[in-house]
Amino acid sequence: MSDGKNKISTIISVFLVGGGQIYSGRIWAGIAFALTFYGTIALIKIIWTGFNFGFYPLLVVWIIIWLYNILDAYKGYCYEPPPCERNCPAGIRPWIYLNYLAQDKPAPLSYIPFFEILGMVCPAPCEDHCTRRAYDDPVAIKHLKLGVKKVWIRPKARKSNASVGIVGAGPCGLSLAASLKLRGYQVTVMEREGYPGGMPAIAIPEFRLPTSVLKKEVDEILSLGIELRTGVEVGRDISIDELLDRFDLITIAVGAMKPLRLDIPGEERVCYGIDILRRAKKGERFEFGRVGVIGGGNTAIDVARTLVRFGNEVKIYYRRRAEDMPAEPEDREEAVEEGIEIIPLVLPIGIEGKRHHFIRTRIVDGRPEIVENSEFEVELDQLVIAIGQEPDIDFLKDKLLTDQRGFIVVKNGRSSHPKIYAGGDVVAGPKTIAHAVGHGLRIAQRIDQNLRKIPGFFAWLGKREYPFELKLLPFTERRRMMIPHRNSESRIKDFEPVELIPSPDEMKREAERCLVCPLRYRP
Amino acid sequence: MRRWIIQTIAFFAGNHYFQSIIRNEGFYQGPLKRFCFPYFTCYSCPLAVASCPLGSIQHFLSLQLIPFYVIGFLGLIGVFIGRMVCGYLCPIGFLQDILYRIKSFKFKIPNWLANLKYVFLFGLVVIGAYLTAEPAFCKICPVGSTQAGIPLVLWDPFQSSLRPLIGWHYYFKVSIFALFLLLIISSRRFFCRVMCPLGAIYSLFNRFSILQLRVNKDKCIECNSCELLCPMGIKVYQQPNQADCIRCFECVKKCPTKAVYVGW
Ligand code: SF4
Ligand code: SF4
Ligand code: SF4
Repeated sequence: MSDGKNKISTIISVFLVGGGQIYSGRIWAGIAFALTFYGTIALIKIIWTGFNFGFYPLLVVWIIIWLYNILDAYKGYCYEPPPCERNCPAGIRPWIYLNYLAQDKPAPLSYIPFFEILGMVCPAPCEDHCTRRAYDDPVAIKHLKLGVKKVWIRPKARKSNASVGIVGAGPCGLSLAASLKLRGYQVTVMEREGYPGGMPAIAIPEFRLPTSVLKKEVDEILSLGIELRTGVEVGRDISIDELLDRFDLITIAVGAMKPLRLDIPGEERVCYGIDILRRAKKGERFEFGRVGVIGGGNTAIDVARTLVRFGNEVKIYYRRRAEDMPAEPEDREEAVEEGIEIIPLVLPIGIEGKRHHFIRTRIVDGRPEIVENSEFEVELDQLVIAIGQEPDIDFLKDKLLTDQRGFIVVKNGRSSHPKIYAGGDVVAGPKTIAHAVGHGLRIAQRIDQNLRKIPGFFAWLGKREYPFELKLLPFTERRRMMIPHRNSESRIKDFEPVELIPSPDEMKREAERCLVCPLRYRP
Repeated sequence: MRRWIIQTIAFFAGNHYFQSIIRNEGFYQGPLKRFCFPYFTCYSCPLAVASCPLGSIQHFLSLQLIPFYVIGFLGLIGVFIGRMVCGYLCPIGFLQDILYRIKSFKFKIPNWLANLKYVFLFGLVVIGAYLTAEPAFCKICPVGSTQAGIPLVLWDPFQSSLRPLIGWHYYFKVSIFALFLLLIISSRRFFCRVMCPLGAIYSLFNRFSILQLRVNKDKCIECNSCELLCPMGIKVYQQPNQADCIRCFECVKKCPTKAVYVGW
């Protein structure tokens, strides 16, 4: 069902109970509403014995049925969200595009920024919860994003003079900007770097996310008519008070870009993971020789894999076990394939020239604890620290509340300052792109509600949840498709993508593996 | 056997007095009417061949007697199978199963509302009937309207002896009936979960009944499919024998990992 149809059916239903439902193809729902409404009216008419106060409850119930029928005509049949939908941090409904892909139809979806990028780099929490796990392996939800023929449904924008300033053109900032622009607001995005994209542009290496893909996606967002000002650092080029004067609302989405320090003697000599990634993306080469990377997150793995491609000999030192790493297991395995050695349960304690001192740890109750007298020494040419990042928001320290780790405290997207919203890594700590996109989209909704002064209940009423008809497909026995990878010898020589894109036909048949949980599992 | 077949058979097993329609003679008044069904069917339904358990309880209580035999009968069933009667026999449950399949806008009710049925049980069926000496629950019972009130008045077998009796109370019952239809279309087994006093009686036995659902926690992958398909909206893997479980075994049949099974 296309999006316009539900408006017409709502209007029909206002005048003819059940009519709108029949118009939109839900015959039985229409009949049921018409019978409960007109049926009881007819019944009362047949047995009419005169007016009495028992008529009032009847009147109330008829009004309730009439209102519910209008609501139903607008909202349509609603599905219970399946696990893939419930676990998507960006609020995407994977089963819907999978279903369209399996039916080989173009998918009308409401606009999701960074859709293809998510298809390449998202850690796919949806797949970890997919019901298909019960039979064999989860559906390749993430990769299938690349095969969907999307038709973005653009809502008709109201013109609005309210202006919103967004600090930071990362996934959160740009998603927010796109979503607000589509709702008709004036949006200006300020970015400290010379180019938009944020963390994916700076720190996701070329072999995981080609710049061309990122650029296409960012250009699509900017082409909506968003004003982008790069090279503007708030606090240096422009003050926060100026921003508060200029815009009706501002949103801080600067991410967490300041690398955490280790605080060990000799730390002046080390490099930080995020700096290496940023400079490598700009084309710099790093030829250190023997490199040790400290950390177990995605940045640590990415930096190690980048350095391997420059011909370095890389080892990752991590204070817990390899399986405890917050990085994605697949990325970790790919790193090992590329010849990176992971040395678990060690902690650096000092650096003297090329001599790096470590101490061993052990896990006690889930936390690493130092083992006494287990110091050892490793000769390395360079140590790279990638143990995480924190936000760099000194420019608004006195404006709003932050927690002790430096992240902004928010409630429903809004910080303690009524005109400042915040989202993305600056709120949640370094998380995935999907989290950032999800934050952006949710904040856009909050800002919209706030600026147009809509109470939450009415915002809910106006939301059309499932504007389409889906089909339950027969169960297929097929196993999960293999995603082709380039072999490790050739891929460590260059920065071309490691994962190759499967053929459209393969993707369609993979999409057929989806069980369409909301249709298959219902009473 | 498919559940809907059993439900259909159960409906006709209890409601097959077609002579009433053929001979136009009102409802059955033979000896069977002294016994009650284990499930919900209105005593005044023209097709019914036995009486309603709740009606019997209220009948005894309004005579200031304790309905030992009904309690014993329901208790005996409850001890063995808990609320399974609701899932396999009750025609009203069947009606709700059918109507919920209509593709309309649905909503979920909060779980605490499910306790309202105990209020209906103790407030109206027990205390109400005892104090007013009348079947108090029958005054609002939408099942009565569905099976007896509305068809009887339309059909009018007693040649206009019913219609003049219609007053505010009949209008009120029609309004409850319309609301009942709307709610059972749009929320899962609304009547069973929120209103049904008979379900409330059985649900007291669910925890202790001999028949129990078991979940193999090692197999379960918490996909939540069981909640999606459960007519009562129960998260089976968390509370397998929750008071509301009607033992329809849909979760047992459809769990993709076969983690739910029937145990003793
Ligand atoms: S089987 Fe399909 S609908 Fe179910 S969780 Fe997986 S992707 Fe989602
Ligand atoms: S359907 Fe089965 S596997 Fe899924 S959550 Fe329920 S019990 Fe667990
Ligand atoms: S828990 Fe299972 S048996 Fe009980 S009502 Fe739900 S689906 Fe039926």
